[in-house]
Amino acid sequence: MATAAPAAPPALGFARPTFAKLSPHPYLLTNLTPQSPSDTPCRTNGRAPHEARPMHIHTSSLSHAHGSALVRTGDTTVVCGVRAEVLPVSSIPQFRPRTHLSAHNASETEGRGELKDYDLLVPNIELATGCAPQFLPGVPPTTLAQTVSTRIYSLLHSCRVVDPADLRIWCDPSPSGAAAGERDEKMDTDDNEDQREQEGEEENQPQLMAYWVLYIDLLFVSFDGNPFDAAWAAVLAALRDTKLPQARWDPDREMAICSSRAKTTPLRVSGLPVACTAAVFLKKEHAETATSTTGENNRHWILLDPDRLEESLCGETVTMAVDCSGEGGEVRIKSIEKLGGTVVGRELMRGLAGVAEKRWREVRDALGVNV
Amino acid sequence: MADRRRINGPVGTTVAPIFEDDVAQESKEAPKSTRSRAPNAIRKMYLKTGVTPSASGSAYLEIETSAKGPVSGLKLTCTVHGPRSLPKSTPFSPHMILSAHVKYAPFATQQRRGYIRDQTERDLGTQLETALRGAIIADRWPKSGVDIIISIIEGDQDRATSKSQGDETWDMMNALSGCVTVASAALADAGIDCVDTVAAGVAALVQDGSADSSPTIVVDPIPSEHEKVLGACCIAYLPTRDEITNLWFKGNLPASEMDLYNQLVDRGIEASRSANQVLVECLGETIGGAASGQVS
Repeated sequence: MATAAPAAPPALGFARPTFAKLSPHPYLLTNLTPQSPSDTPCRTNGRAPHEARPMHIHTSSLSHAHGSALVRTGDTTVVCGVRAEVLPVSSIPQFRPRTHLSAHNASETEGRGELKDYDLLVPNIELATGCAPQFLPGVPPTTLAQTVSTRIYSLLHSCRVVDPADLRIWCDPSPSGAAAGERDEKMDTDDNEDQREQEGEEENQPQLMAYWVLYIDLLFVSFDGNPFDAAWAAVLAALRDTKLPQARWDPDREMAICSSRAKTTPLRVSGLPVACTAAVFLKKEHAETATSTTGENNRHWILLDPDRLEESLCGETVTMAVDCSGEGGEVRIKSIEKLGGTVVGRELMRGLAGVAEKRWREVRDALGVNV
Repeated sequence: MADRRRINGPVGTTVAPIFEDDVAQESKEAPKSTRSRAPNAIRKMYLKTGVTPSASGSAYLEIETSAKGPVSGLKLTCTVHGPRSLPKSTPFSPHMILSAHVKYAPFATQQRRGYIRDQTERDLGTQLETALRGAIIADRWPKSGVDIIISIIEGDQDRATSKSQGDETWDMMNALSGCVTVASAALADAGIDCVDTVAAGVAALVQDGSADSSPTIVVDPIPSEHEKVLGACCIAYLPTRDEITNLWFKGNLPASEMDLYNQLVDRGIEASRSANQVLVECLGETIGGAASGQVS
């Protein structure tokens, strides 16, 4: 920290936080510009530009959720709780019935459609917890909260983290179950014609009767920049921690019954995509491009895992989700999101992939996973 | 009309899982866990300030779970923002305007909660505000406002009993007492002047045996540990001033027995004194930590 002290404060007599508040851009710029060539550039928070905050993950601390995680990176703390609820197929509009066989032979794309069509994953972010002065409750979700929720939602679906097979609840094909189903069918005079036909055709086959819906709720306890990385890590850790009760469909009561609280099956989570966000800080404030109008080069810094101050000063951010858990530890880029600015080109993006791989290893260690 | 600013999930209604062993338990009246603490002992609590560095003040409170069963403890975070100037449209106020906001996390209780505040949360917010207003020296900040926001990460609620007994009020009382204590710590962390540290405690009149056994008074009750809770009161109390800032009484007691009421209030004060010890200790640690940090 001492090496990064800005030149101005001693004369002015301002404390560092005051200086940061008064003129944030020059403050960060002075910090990043080394005083002598031997010095390495250092950010206001004492980190090197490509240094991310260490991540701490704690799971299974909530008793009412089926899976939970607390993730802390620096001063950003987020709690995630996954809660499973039963959605009977009768209450899904435009439900396409499927048999046990077809479900097993289904291609991957079809299964993914199931997750998305019936909306079985429901991630939501709550920022209005007073986690930072700008997020106070009593107002509708801010743009940031909506954006992060949607980004988590789309990454969940595009990475195929959850296998829809784990979320299906079947009707027991045992003789007693079938007989009960038949009896119901005779008494039933409703207009459930498709359903009845289906039941008649596949009397002895298991019927798909309900789905688990995973409500993934995220609550920010403390906010200090980079909400997406922390939230995504929390979602992933909570999903890995999720244990679903063993459920079967009871045709008599027409609802899903779970046998016991003690008997649970862990939810399978495929892959380990890790999000890595970096922001681009430009030397010239309010400049939009790498080269200014006068032709001189506008210097830039890539700041990994930006905090709140840095986020407010950077117009361009890149988020890359990578997964190295495949065979051979190869880096697979799952998603790239780039907002604003024109600095990051092909070369920088390639460099960022390397940085993201390093971050992946850190997060993997924090999760305690051996891949 | 669904809220389009959130991800709402499937159109059809989903139901929480129903367990076979719960149904069995209800019918055969499984043996309940019993209270292992002394009648005048509160549960262990953990209080820490400064969990949200960007807020003016913040605190985290955790009350341990009871030893047996799938009973959750209480986990609360509180942030205090301000004092800060009120928006121009607000009429002049000679003192500080408090606004307390209590929200359960969706995963905090047995039933999944929505993101919109419901009636119980509003009620908790109002009571919390009353409890704190008595402790703050509000005249020192005219024309300014303070926001106190509490997120209940885990509600103090038994999975099985609240449904079977049907009275969530007792859980709410425990939650309120936690809210008052944690908010008091956060206010102190924010450096807002108070006449005293306010802490809250709960006392309850419970019946452990059959219907004709004599009821006893316990502090910090867990509804699942008792056969029946007849009445309870939650008291926010300033120990050095010997003042009660908020009193919430609920139950079905005969009006003739004034003694019973007095005893309940006395025990409630006792409980809040115990909570206050924890609070003072925690604040002492905060100050001690800051002081030693400056020296080194």
